[in-house]
Amino acid sequence: MKNILLIMALFATTMAWAGPKVQEVKIKTSAQCEECKERIERKLSLTKGIKEAVLNLEDKTVTVKFDAKKIDETQIKEIIRGIGYDADELTCDQKAHNNLPTCCQKGGHGH
Amino acid sequence: MSKNIKLASLFFLFLFQTKLHAQLLQGRVFEITDAGKKEALIGVSIFWLNTTTSATSDTSGRFQIPRVAKTNRLVFRYLGYRSDTLTVTNESEIEMVLRSENNLKEVIVQGSSTQTDRLNPIQTEIITTRALAKAACCNLSESFETNASVNVSFADAVTGAKQIQFLGLGGQYVQTNVENIPTIRGLGSTFGLNFIPGTWIQSIDIGKGAGSVVNGYESMTGAINVELVKPDSREKFYFNTYANNFGRVEGNLHLNHELNKKWSVGLLTHASTLQNKFDKNNDGFMDLPTYTQVNLINRWKYQSEKYMAQFGVKYLNETRAGGQMPNTPTQTQLYTFSNQTQRTEFFSKTAKLYPDKPYKGLGLIINGLTHNSVSKFGFTPYDGKQNTLYANLIYQSIIDNTNHQFKTGVSYLLDDYDETYRGTNRKRTESVPGVFGEYTYTYPERLTLVAGGRLDFHNLYGTIATPRLHARYQINERTTLRASTGRGFRVPNPLAENYGYLVSARTVFFTEPLRPEISWNYGASINHTFHWFDKHWELILDYYRTDFQNQMVADLEHPGEIYFYNLNGQSFANSFQAELNVIPIKRMEIKLAYRKLDVRQTMGAPFGESRLLEKMMIAPDRVLFNVGYALPYDKWKWDLTLQWNGQRRIPVLAEGYVHAGYENMPTDNAPAFVNINAQISRAFPGFEVYLGGENLTNFRQLDPIVAANSPFGRSFDAGARAWGPVVGRMIYAGLRVKIKK
Repeated sequence: MKNILLIMALFATTMAWAGPKVQEVKIKTSAQCEECKERIERKLSLTKGIKEAVLNLEDKTVTVKFDAKKIDETQIKEIIRGIGYDADELTCDQKAHNNLPTCCQKGGHGH
Repeated sequence: MSKNIKLASLFFLFLFQTKLHAQLLQGRVFEITDAGKKEALIGVSIFWLNTTTSATSDTSGRFQIPRVAKTNRLVFRYLGYRSDTLTVTNESEIEMVLRSENNLKEVIVQGSSTQTDRLNPIQTEIITTRALAKAACCNLSESFETNASVNVSFADAVTGAKQIQFLGLGGQYVQTNVENIPTIRGLGSTFGLNFIPGTWIQSIDIGKGAGSVVNGYESMTGAINVELVKPDSREKFYFNTYANNFGRVEGNLHLNHELNKKWSVGLLTHASTLQNKFDKNNDGFMDLPTYTQVNLINRWKYQSEKYMAQFGVKYLNETRAGGQMPNTPTQTQLYTFSNQTQRTEFFSKTAKLYPDKPYKGLGLIINGLTHNSVSKFGFTPYDGKQNTLYANLIYQSIIDNTNHQFKTGVSYLLDDYDETYRGTNRKRTESVPGVFGEYTYTYPERLTLVAGGRLDFHNLYGTIATPRLHARYQINERTTLRASTGRGFRVPNPLAENYGYLVSARTVFFTEPLRPEISWNYGASINHTFHWFDKHWELILDYYRTDFQNQMVADLEHPGEIYFYNLNGQSFANSFQAELNVIPIKRMEIKLAYRKLDVRQTMGAPFGESRLLEKMMIAPDRVLFNVGYALPYDKWKWDLTLQWNGQRRIPVLAEGYVHAGYENMPTDNAPAFVNINAQISRAFPGFEVYLGGENLTNFRQLDPIVAANSPFGRSFDAGARAWGPVVGRMIYAGLRVKIKK
């Protein structure tokens, strides 16, 4: 029984790591289809310091919640740029952009 | 029908415009066409579970639906396609792929972890890739860890063979298919669960009660279907490596390649080994056998508008060595166990499709395999060979409209067994042509009735009739009732199915020729979802009974002997299960389940006795608790499972005990025990790492082997009283690398 409690406690502690203070930023991107959305959201969501990333395809804006102690807005934009998309004033990394599927490239038609 | 769709979308537009200010969820619904392209599905009905808030997809497959506070489960329903439920978290836009009802078309399942298939007339639980990732190790036998219906246990304390239990009965009574091909059966039932590596699995469907007649007559208590990763999967490269504290290491590599628009090729590989010999309970026996497994599938897939074909080969080689530790002091010789299994398989599935008639299809499944197993228990050899050929031709279409669907076809099964145990040869060739038909009546949104029947012409046992009936009735949007009944038939393989008991000094007796096992299964279930304390809950109650007209009895009541004989009297298994699921906060799932079994068998027939006894090794009570929490895109994932297994009957093997008769026979029970497993995983953009533990309380059965110090003596037994974990706490870590197209 002691063991069980210990495990439960350990488990709860690691889960509690997930809740520090959070800032929010909105970044305009050049995403144009579901695949772009998934690519950007996934990359951001899995980055250290970022809590949540949700991209709205209507206005192409990604809303990012992040921990300001671990990452800042410029770094977030750099990440978006690095995978081939514009991020506000930053123009996409041309090489990464060219590696995207045709439908996700600028001027592609989406799906 | 298209008029209705237009009307529905108009209606939706109207509805939608008045609610423009509400928070909207939008998305698209697709199917994957034969050419592997995403194609929009028009007129799919989409609604929030248990609400009247609904939407319909437009000509580009798009839909918009206002969010509701009550639930985050979005249901997609489309005629001719399998309905699916998606758990929507914080997405503003979602994408959904529906799978066709057509058996031979491909499947994409993603989303929430375990779910019940809402529209299936058979009570079916689906274990998705996400749920499989909860228990990272290692093969199909571990894939049921977070599932309340199936439990897995070691068969004995030496061989490492694992058996599943389902609705109170052994795995042999469940038809276990891989992609609709009966696979874990015959001699493969001994180690078969270990032969399907976990990373290969894309999803598992667990159907309770009698299964569909389309796949044969062998499903007696249920049917499990395992779908493997497909060659045209989005993951073109997948690598997994795993190691645990006992010294087991494992590697899995998947390569999937699209050659052109029509052809794709896939390679699934697995290699694992355990070379570390250890004996923590100091009984002189290795706690786990050393082993090495090499396992491969190479498959090809062709898909065009009108045809689909898949074919491939499987190869497996496994060696196991267990028994006494090499340094055990002994007067004679060491007791060793060894097994080598080789299995080669060929399969093909071809289908003719009718692009303008998605409800119509003609499919042919062909499977051939050779299974060769060589074992030694101490001085006792046991060799088994099996050759099997299976073919199933299925035609499906409708009568007048899609409310009346049918499947019909012919099948052929050839099983050739050749077993030698301790010098005695057992040979059996079964040749079974069969015909089947299954009719499905659907009263949209309310009722589904499936009536199926098959006739098989067995060369040894004559004509077998297999009627089955399934019904699903949706009382209201929250409550679904299901009922089923059906007959099952199978020919038992006493040695392969009781392999663990052979690791003993027991003498095997066949008192009479064994007849096929015949059973009837009856069952009913209710699924109810409700809203309580602002949370979404799901309650599932089910009850199933399997009644045997004939069963092979494996009688262990006599110390030193095992008797196989036909049932003379009653034998049944009753199973009642209650399961409660709740989503307390976003991306968190909690499951609590309780199962009550009452399994009894009449024993003693060869001795002129008849006593209805509680079945051995079946724990009448079991509780399962599972909690999982994940961050978006599974950046971090936590999972914890607790199982409580109640007492179970085990044979009395006290020193000097002589079995005098069944009537006043003493009985013995194994104690109840708790098992806790937990896992934490972290995903990075290109890879994932995980760390987990099984049996975290380090619970061990200290004396799994009777008379371990004298393995060649009369009372040695490593199977009959092995009821719990032999090895203690297991800690593992692993890595998954995925490259998507």
